[in-house]
Amino acid sequence: MKTATIALILAIAAIGTGCSTTNERSRNLADPSVSGKTLALQVCSNCHGVDGNSVNPTFPKLAGQPVEYFLVEMKEFRNHHRADPAGFEYMWGLSRSLTDRQLDELAGYYVQQKLVADKPTDAGREAAGKNIFDRGVPAKNIPPCMACHGAEGTGNGKFPRIAGQHADYLAKQLTVFKRTDERPEGALMETIAHDLTSEDIENISAYLASHSPK
Amino acid sequence: MKVSFPLLRGVWFLSILLAAGSAQAVPSYARQTGQNCVACHAGGQFPELTPYGRMFKLTGYTIGQRTMPLSMMGVLNANKVKVNDPAEGKQQDGSPIFNTASLFIAGKISDNIGGFAQITYNNYDAQNSDSGKWTGHTGADNMDFRYADRLIDANRDLVYGVTLHNNPTVQDVWMSAPAWGPATVPGSTGSGGGLLPILADGLGQQVAGIGAYAYWNRTLYAELTGYRTGNGIFSFMTQGVNNDHGPQTILKGVNPYWRLALTHEWGAHNAMIGLSGLDVKIYPDPTDLSTPTDHYRDVGLDAQYQYLLDPHSLTAQASYIHEKQDLEANLAATNPADTIDSLRAKVSYVYHAKYGASLSYFDVHGSTNNNPDTATRGWTPEIFWTPLQYVRIGLQYTQFNRVNGLSSNTDGAGRSARDDNSLLLYVWGAF
Repeated sequence: MKTATIALILAIAAIGTGCSTTNERSRNLADPSVSGKTLALQVCSNCHGVDGNSVNPTFPKLAGQPVEYFLVEMKEFRNHHRADPAGFEYMWGLSRSLTDRQLDELAGYYVQQKLVADKPTDAGREAAGKNIFDRGVPAKNIPPCMACHGAEGTGNGKFPRIAGQHADYLAKQLTVFKRTDERPEGALMETIAHDLTSEDIENISAYLASHSPK
Repeated sequence: MKVSFPLLRGVWFLSILLAAGSAQAVPSYARQTGQNCVACHAGGQFPELTPYGRMFKLTGYTIGQRTMPLSMMGVLNANKVKVNDPAEGKQQDGSPIFNTASLFIAGKISDNIGGFAQITYNNYDAQNSDSGKWTGHTGADNMDFRYADRLIDANRDLVYGVTLHNNPTVQDVWMSAPAWGPATVPGSTGSGGGLLPILADGLGQQVAGIGAYAYWNRTLYAELTGYRTGNGIFSFMTQGVNNDHGPQTILKGVNPYWRLALTHEWGAHNAMIGLSGLDVKIYPDPTDLSTPTDHYRDVGLDAQYQYLLDPHSLTAQASYIHEKQDLEANLAATNPADTIDSLRAKVSYVYHAKYGASLSYFDVHGSTNNNPDTATRGWTPEIFWTPLQYVRIGLQYTQFNRVNGLSSNTDGAGRSARDDNSLLLYVWGAF
C-alpha cells in the first residue's frame, strides 16, 4: 500500500508539473510568455475588477488610466520606489517579475476600459470640491486640479485620470502626498497637496468620485 | 495572572529568531506572491481570508511564481483553568509551555495544481497513565490539494476545481466553516468543548475527501465532496494521528457532503450566506467492520460579513449545525436517536492590522444518551496584538455559563461550570 501511495504521489506530481494550463489562463507572474491581458483577467481582476472598476476602495479603479501614468506607477512598484502602505503591501510582490512588454500590454488593456463613477453622496462636499478642482485655492497658491488632470479630470500622459476614482483612495493618496515621501514620482503633488486641509481633501475626493466626464 | 520571565524570554527569542531572517522571510504563500499577509488575511489575522485570499485558495493556490514551499509556525502559551486538574499539569496550571509547532509545505505546483499540507508536532500529545509524564508526537494536520482553473472574460467568471483533503470543511474559504472557526488559535478553548456535531469535530485527519466545486461570477459557490476512511492510498494524510489515541475512525464507503454559498461584495463590504450538509456512516468499533454503523446527518447554516478598508477590519461569522444521530449500532444506547445543535458566532475588529479584539459565543446542546440537555455554552473575549505581520500575541478568556446542561455540579462532584473558565496567553509566530 505504501508503494502504491508513493507511486500515486509521483504520478500526480509528474502530471502536475508536466502539464500546465494554456498560457491563455495562466496565473504565473514570472512567465514572460503570459500576456498582460491574461494576467489582467486571471490575477489583477481579483482586486481591480475584470473591467478595471474595482469594488473595494482599497484598490484604485484602473479603467481608462493613461498609458504613460500606468507604466510609471507599475515601474515605481517594481523598483520599490512607490512605498505607500497599500502599494507595497499588495503591489511590490505582484509586479516584481513582470516584464516591460507585459506592463505595456496591461496598460493597453486598461486604457481601453470604461471607468464607472461612484454615486454622489454629499452635494455640499461635491460643490466645494468642484470649486477647488476648477479654480484651485488661490489664497494658498494651489493651482486648479484641472490644469494638469484635464477639464473633466480624465488625465493625460503622466497625469492620472482622477474623475470617477474611489473617494477613499483619492483622499488617502492626497494624504500620502501631503504628509510623506512615499511616492517620489509624485513630487509635484507633494508641493500641491502640502497646503490642502483635511476638509479640502475630503471635498475634492467627494467631487471627483461621482464625476462622470461629459 | 502573572506573566513569568521564561515566557517573556520565549517571546523575545521568537521575535529575534523571526527578525533574523531577511525582509522577505514570510510564509511560503507570501513568498509566492510577494505580498504582505494582509493581502490575503483579513486585518492580518491569519487564517481568516479576504476576498482576494479566497480567490487565491479557490484558484488552487496558483497565483504568483513557484517558490520554496516551506514555512513554519510555532505557539508558546500559558493556559490557566480556574479550577485546574493537577493531573493535566502545565496545560492547565498557567505555566508557560511550548505548545505546538507546524511545518507547512504549501504552494503552487503548476499553473493548475497547488496545495496546503501541515505537519504538526504537539508537545502535549499523550500522558503516561503511570508516571503522568507527557510525551510529544508529530502527525498529519490539515491538508488540501487542488486542481483548479478559471474561465474569465468581460461577461462571465467561472472558477472550478477538485480538492483532495483530510478534514471536512478545511477546503472551505469562509471562517464560519468548522475547520477554521472560532477555535483556530492553537491551544484555544474558544469552542468551549462539549460534544460537537461530526461536521465540526471527529473526522479531522481520519478521512480523505475528494470533491468538486465551482464558483460562478463571484456570486454562487457549489461543492460536492465524498468522504471515505483515510487509509490505504490516502493514509499519507492521516499518518501519525492515531498513535496513542486509539485506532483510526472507519467510515462505511463514500459519504456525501454538499455546500452552497451566496456571496456579494459592495464597497468595502462583503457577505456570504450558506448551507451545507453531511451524511456519514461510521463503524462504532473500528476493529469490527461486520456491525451496523452509526449514522450522522448534519445540516448547517452559516454566514459571514467583512468590512475591510484600512485602517479598519471588522469581521463576523456565525454557524449553526443541526445533527441527527441514529446510533443503531450502539447497544448501550438507551436513546438511539439523538440530536446535537451547535451555534457558534464570532465578531472581531482589528485596527491597522495591529491591535485587535474579538468576541465569540458558543452554544452546543441537544439530547444524548443520558442527559436530556447537554448544553455547553459560554463566551470567549480576546484581545491581541500583531507587532510584526507574522507574530501575534493574544489574551483569551473563555467563560462557561453551562457545561453539560448545568451551571453547578457539572461532574457530580460539585464542580461548577465556571470552574472550567480559562485564561490563555499565547504567542503565535509563523515564518
